[in-house]
Amino acid sequence: MFGYIIRRVLLMIPTLIVISIISFVIIQLPPGDYLTSYAAQLSAQGDTIDAQGLKALEERYGLGQPIHVQYFKWVSGIILRGDWGQSMEWQKPVKDLIWERLALTILLSSVAILVSWFIAIPVGVYSATHQYSIPDYVLSVISFVGVGTPGFLLALIVMYLAMSQLNQSVGGLFSSEFLLAPWSLAKVVDMLKHLWIPVLIIALESTAGSIRTTRANLLDELNKPYVETARAKGLEEGKLIWKYPVRVALNPFFSTVGWSLASLISGQTLIAVVLSLQTTGPMMLRALMSQDMYLAGSFLLLLSSLTVIGTLVSDIILAWVDPRIRLRG
Amino acid sequence: MTRKRNITRREFLRLSTIAAVGVATASCAPAAEPTEEAATTEAPPERTEAPPEATTEAPPVVTEEAAAKEAPMLAELVAAGELPPLEERLPTTPCILPAHDGVGNYGGTIRRAFKGVSDRWGPTKSNDHFLAWYDQDLNLIPRLVESWEINEDASEWTFHLREGTKWSDGTEFTSADIVWWYENEMGNTDLWPSPYIKWTVTVGTDKVFMDLEAPDDYTVIMKFARPKTLFIYDLTRGTGMESFGVGCLTPSHYMKQFHIDFADDPEALEAEATEAGFENWAAYYLDRNYWYLNPERPSLSPWVAKNALSEELFIMERNPYYYGVDTEGNQLPYVDTIQHRLYETAEVLNLWVTNGEIDFQARGMAMANFTLYKESEASGDYSVFVQKTASHVALQCNLTAKNERVRELFNDRNVRIAFSLAVNRDEMNELAYDGFYTPRQYSPMEESPQYYPDLSNLYLDYDPDEANRPLDEAGYTEKDADGFRLWKDGSGETLSFEIVGDWEAGTPNEDAVQLLVRYLADVGIKCAYKYIERSLYQERFRANDIEAAWWGGDRTLLPLAPLAVIFRGYQTDRPWACAWGLYLQNPDDPNAEKPPEDHWINEIWNLWDQCEAEVDPDRQNELFFQILDIWAEELPMPGYLGNQPNPCIVKNGFRGYLDGMPSDDTVADEHFLGTETYYWEDPESHMS
Repeated sequence: MFGYIIRRVLLMIPTLIVISIISFVIIQLPPGDYLTSYAAQLSAQGDTIDAQGLKALEERYGLGQPIHVQYFKWVSGIILRGDWGQSMEWQKPVKDLIWERLALTILLSSVAILVSWFIAIPVGVYSATHQYSIPDYVLSVISFVGVGTPGFLLALIVMYLAMSQLNQSVGGLFSSEFLLAPWSLAKVVDMLKHLWIPVLIIALESTAGSIRTTRANLLDELNKPYVETARAKGLEEGKLIWKYPVRVALNPFFSTVGWSLASLISGQTLIAVVLSLQTTGPMMLRALMSQDMYLAGSFLLLLSSLTVIGTLVSDIILAWVDPRIRLRG
Repeated sequence: MTRKRNITRREFLRLSTIAAVGVATASCAPAAEPTEEAATTEAPPERTEAPPEATTEAPPVVTEEAAAKEAPMLAELVAAGELPPLEERLPTTPCILPAHDGVGNYGGTIRRAFKGVSDRWGPTKSNDHFLAWYDQDLNLIPRLVESWEINEDASEWTFHLREGTKWSDGTEFTSADIVWWYENEMGNTDLWPSPYIKWTVTVGTDKVFMDLEAPDDYTVIMKFARPKTLFIYDLTRGTGMESFGVGCLTPSHYMKQFHIDFADDPEALEAEATEAGFENWAAYYLDRNYWYLNPERPSLSPWVAKNALSEELFIMERNPYYYGVDTEGNQLPYVDTIQHRLYETAEVLNLWVTNGEIDFQARGMAMANFTLYKESEASGDYSVFVQKTASHVALQCNLTAKNERVRELFNDRNVRIAFSLAVNRDEMNELAYDGFYTPRQYSPMEESPQYYPDLSNLYLDYDPDEANRPLDEAGYTEKDADGFRLWKDGSGETLSFEIVGDWEAGTPNEDAVQLLVRYLADVGIKCAYKYIERSLYQERFRANDIEAAWWGGDRTLLPLAPLAVIFRGYQTDRPWACAWGLYLQNPDDPNAEKPPEDHWINEIWNLWDQCEAEVDPDRQNELFFQILDIWAEELPMPGYLGNQPNPCIVKNGFRGYLDGMPSDDTVADEHFLGTETYYWEDPESHMS
């Protein structure tokens, strides 16, 4: 097992190198660079910048250098000094920008995942055990609608209702008076007042799918002989269901760690944009659009690394659970 | 309705005549050595003559009783001994700003919204009015400086600073700051490999940096190698772009610590720069010099930053040392704080507006949402004003298109006139823009001193028959089976070209261009609109790779201030003569082309050179009108609609912003009248 993990970790190194090169090249592919959009922005605001001015800026940002020089400068900064470069648009170090938003992002995503599981698992189990009953049909219809409704649309609707019916300020996670305030009880209360909208929307989006998965998996398990046996032995029905088939049916939730780690950071970008949440998703989207290359590149690298690590973690869990994989590995 | 004051056309004309006469007399006066009194009391020459009641002539009003005339929050600090009394904070002759809506009340907050550092223009445009600024009638009046003079050919500009002006930390601001900036910032090649264009003139093909002298603490003389008559316009707006050296207002006492030549320990400074994530000390220095990114940097603006703009809420708080007062000697600004809250999408901004969470903002508001804003006026407790902006709907037919047949087509004056006559402007206005625009050619606005109806009202009538005639005359008589005209070269191919723009489907501008395509089809011209992404557009006009563009045109309120960049074809993002414009920018550009010797564009350029060198504003206008005459004759850029409206949200009880004022980025949009004179009727209920 130990050797297996070592081998996998060693394999990750070339993977990450390749990923970092690919992501750096990709962000350079679109026409123009950050300065192109910056010059356009200035010109739209009534200021002109001449060719020499652009040249000076190019040097300041190091954009005139060949792509491989820029790449090595960036990567060596990350490895040697933990310096991810400077965001051109925000004029701040990339690592500060990402860190600032990371905590809230992870909080939001994990709360949403927990809420989603909290709803999806009981409902899915109920649907499966009462297959083809009227409540099952009702729940199925609801969850199909849920799967089909785009999150951003739901966000718009909920936002409008919250504002017009509940008279609540929307957009962001805090009221403006708490935005810059240090953490306090009042600020937490204020956050909870705002948090429910994004949590609800993000949770609803994944809940519907999870209900379907739980239901389908559980239905596969319910007819298996071990369930029959347990039932024949007179085990109480509730205990039986929850203790044996449900545990097996939940496997997909735990083996998707691989990509859920990355989606903690970039997931729900569209919803976050619509709700003006200051999480990492909107920032990444904007960085890509304005060709803010170190910020965008760092995000891509971070997401890829998390996916690679996540895959390793879920492989380890699977190997630990399933001897067949371990032996072949 | 007392709060709205519409300035009528007639009133405007009257005022501008007064101003024009003033300017003429002032500029005839010899620019002799100023006597001590003349320097302070006489109105400065050039276009700076203010209307009778304005700043320069009014006596200083700060007396003993004025000492109490400051914001309560500052009075408290003074009482507590944390701040010197008002008279020690104001210059000996403070800048008296016209309060356009009466003397106001102190206190309150203005809540606004912004989209991040790249959308810093809301904060900077409200705060960065510079050495001079406009009065209500677009005359420039001195602001930070007390007065200025020019020599006879405007190559030498002398500025008189206000004695006792203070930075926001209380340090005195003198000519030494500007000298330090000149020598160590703009003149430092690490910081500025080549000086920013504003501080240079072009002699031949070289950019020549100005000379700067400071005979005493309150006088600065800037000397250029050739006349720079429009220089003062460069000193109005925009310390928001220090990265381009726009501001000469660097607090030397503070910035020294970040300068390699002045730092106590240069190595420690380099280390600090690296630590902060910068390439070198220069990048670090420039970063620390942005007032909105570095709250510790002292400034001269009415409000100072309380935190960095890169956060979710940006707060600007009054500068206790601000040098401006109202007509009664009350220190400005009236409003305590301005805050900008970050939003990601327009939907959230709109909800904030309708929920009454935006106090005063035109930036980011879209005419497409006009009805939405209007519906919630009562519940959100605000009013929607409609600003008239300088933008036009116009078509750029690239006279230098790479495709020879397209080039031949567009270079035919008849064709451009046909493109103007073929369009039903009223219908386009109604269908695409809800009738909010006004049919007009691309030309100076009515409010502009350079308004020229002969151009504005040319070829506006919808007349398809009249439009067909010039096309026939131009020789495009053959048609294909579908009724589209053929190229003249006898190839039998259907004439067609491509119009590009970055308006996505469903936007009003896209609706309008699709209508244009239909109108042109009605007169047998086949063309198609293609959406391209903005950066791609940049690449393409830089490479002169555009046939026609749907990019409109602005900068028509004070066309001279931005150096008439669109009228000359200099600004190639309005590519009506792309390769020639590139030539004007830089003759060595691989995509540049020298226009043919006998082409009328040479005449525009010649006239502009004369216009730019002309000191007498009347003569200058005349020369510019000659350029507009060429425009009227040749119609280089067929224009359709103008006076683009832009909604401005104004909370009820917010005063100082007057309806009917023109809006353009030259005059800082909704901050034209000076945000420091805007106030709340009832500040107590807007404390936030």
